[in-house]
Amino acid sequence: MNSGFLTFILAVISAMLINNVVLVRFYGICPFVGTSRKVKSAFWMGVSVTLVIVVASLISWPLYKWVLVSAGIPFMDTIVYILVIASLVQIIGLFIKKFSAPLYRTLGIYLPLITTNCAVLGVVQGNTDMGLDFGGAMANAIGTGLGFLLVIVLFSYIRERLDASGVPKAMKGVPVALFTAALMALAFFGFRGMVQ
Amino acid sequence: MGKEAAILVAVIVIITLVAIFLITFIVYIKTPPPKGLEKLKPDEDDCRKCPAAHCLNKPAGEEGGKEKKNA
Repeated sequence: MNSGFLTFILAVISAMLINNVVLVRFYGICPFVGTSRKVKSAFWMGVSVTLVIVVASLISWPLYKWVLVSAGIPFMDTIVYILVIASLVQIIGLFIKKFSAPLYRTLGIYLPLITTNCAVLGVVQGNTDMGLDFGGAMANAIGTGLGFLLVIVLFSYIRERLDASGVPKAMKGVPVALFTAALMALAFFGFRGMVQ
Repeated sequence: MGKEAAILVAVIVIITLVAIFLITFIVYIKTPPPKGLEKLKPDEDDCRKCPAAHCLNKPAGEEGGKEKKNA
């Protein structure tokens, strides 16, 4: 297999499982807890976040390298990324509003959460701060997005089962969800050392 | 690149991005929501399960909802 492609796949797996954005880096906790009550809404939130992360990285990396650095104004990266992410979320929201009523019903009030999801800004900022090349940045973005999707869907399955089980009253809702997240983080810790 | 040119590029980049954001925001606001979904509310079942008694999203007639009505 082509070694470049293998490196890309390993980078994706690393960002997805070993350095998982939610359970290892603790980014994006707000939508992780807020939209994980039902599997369907969790899945579509994960897909939307993945899409925003990948497209934001796709736009931001060339913008940083060829506009901000070339012009000698790399310190303006954060504000540029925020504007790119906010615009992307509006565009994705627009498509959902226009073309998919069921999705709009499921995600409508939660879509703006993506703009304030620090996972998106964290990945885009990290791509440039770590000095990744374009391929590395895309692998990081795809892996992080898929990692978020995987974790939020798994978490929503567990929460649905918890809703149907006899959780003590004091632990119902967010407390048991946070305990579950902690146990999942421990489980994901087992992936350490998978990619050398 | 000179300092003036860098400032000019910075201003152009910011203005362009803000303009794109404003255009997408206005188009999003002006796009009518699908029929029957004009006023999206949180799922009432979810709200009833939720133990937060003072949440303003609770349906009217329940603890939080009453507070909203009285407010």
